[in-house]
Amino acid sequence: MKLTVNGTEHEVDVEPEMPLLWVLRDELNIKGPKYGCGIAQCGACTVHVDGMAVRSCQLPVGDLEGEVTTIEGLGTPESLHAVQAAWVAHQVAQCGYCQSGQIMQAAALLDLNPAPTDAEIDAVMSGNLCRCGTYPRIRAAIHDAAQKLSEA
Amino acid sequence: MQKSVVILAAVSIAGAALAEAALTLPEEGSISRADGQAAFERIYEVVTHPRCANCHVGADNIPMWSGPSYGEARPHGMHINAGESRIGAEFLPCQTCHVTSDDFDTAPHAAPRFGIAWQLAPVEFEWFGKSRAEICAQLKDPERNGGRDWRELVEHLEHDASLNGPVAWGWSPGGDREPAPRTLEEHVEDMALWGAAGQPCPQG
Repeated sequence: MKLTVNGTEHEVDVEPEMPLLWVLRDELNIKGPKYGCGIAQCGACTVHVDGMAVRSCQLPVGDLEGEVTTIEGLGTPESLHAVQAAWVAHQVAQCGYCQSGQIMQAAALLDLNPAPTDAEIDAVMSGNLCRCGTYPRIRAAIHDAAQKLSEA
Repeated sequence: MQKSVVILAAVSIAGAALAEAALTLPEEGSISRADGQAAFERIYEVVTHPRCANCHVGADNIPMWSGPSYGEARPHGMHINAGESRIGAEFLPCQTCHVTSDDFDTAPHAAPRFGIAWQLAPVEFEWFGKSRAEICAQLKDPERNGGRDWRELVEHLEHDASLNGPVAWGWSPGGDREPAPRTLEEHVEDMALWGAAGQPCPQG
């Protein structure tokens, strides 16, 4: 079957029930999305499908409808997405394992809500766990990215 | 069971979905009030079951986690709020985790899924924690049931099930989740029996 990831079309020979995360990591060698729990409890595997945040471990690839964007396609090292730039500025990551999912979820949040309150950030980001407890920096970086995007 | 009510159901391999159904509706008035009340009791057991009631919640827009595996009922984890949109558009879309798929076979504790977009039922269809009398009054009130008479309630169940929607999923929820009581076919039949009996409601 065919799927488009970060603007590139790929052909893969897999069972339709294989989760998208497996296809990305094991078939396409796209390792940004992380495996955390496999049951939508942690958010580490979050990618975008046509701009909406999706837990890629939950989506059978045969049910994929739309183009996939992973952290590798969100920005480039030369031109970071505002959320990525804010993550660097606030030095959000500690161990970093969850951060690809956090950034993808935060970018999707700002697409739907360009100026979220603290409560709205908490409501949206509570499905993305960070065992290092970087939540205060995540919140600060999202506010910063929202500000930067509003000035752009 | 009334012998006059015939259900022709083709059960799909994907998960006991009522893929193609044609229920021969009983004549209005042909079912006794007692049989109608008995049918409503069974309907009440279904709609207040966790598979159905957890997403038929009130104006706080917070789905519930309840059922044998949870012990005490609690709000959905992860601080989930589906918003007034009832699809999570204001916060985290339900579909971020509950993807759309005709394959109901998810792991225990994974996000369950069905064949249409996951969402809360409209707020006026509130069932969670409601009494027999309250749910009965809601189900028969076109202002609060999507403008449906009893025949259209039966059609609604059949249509949703044919799409592998929540009505089909409730009896094939996957992941060791407890299914709703009895069968989808019996529930559709009960809706018809209750309707043909004049939709009698209990007092309390």
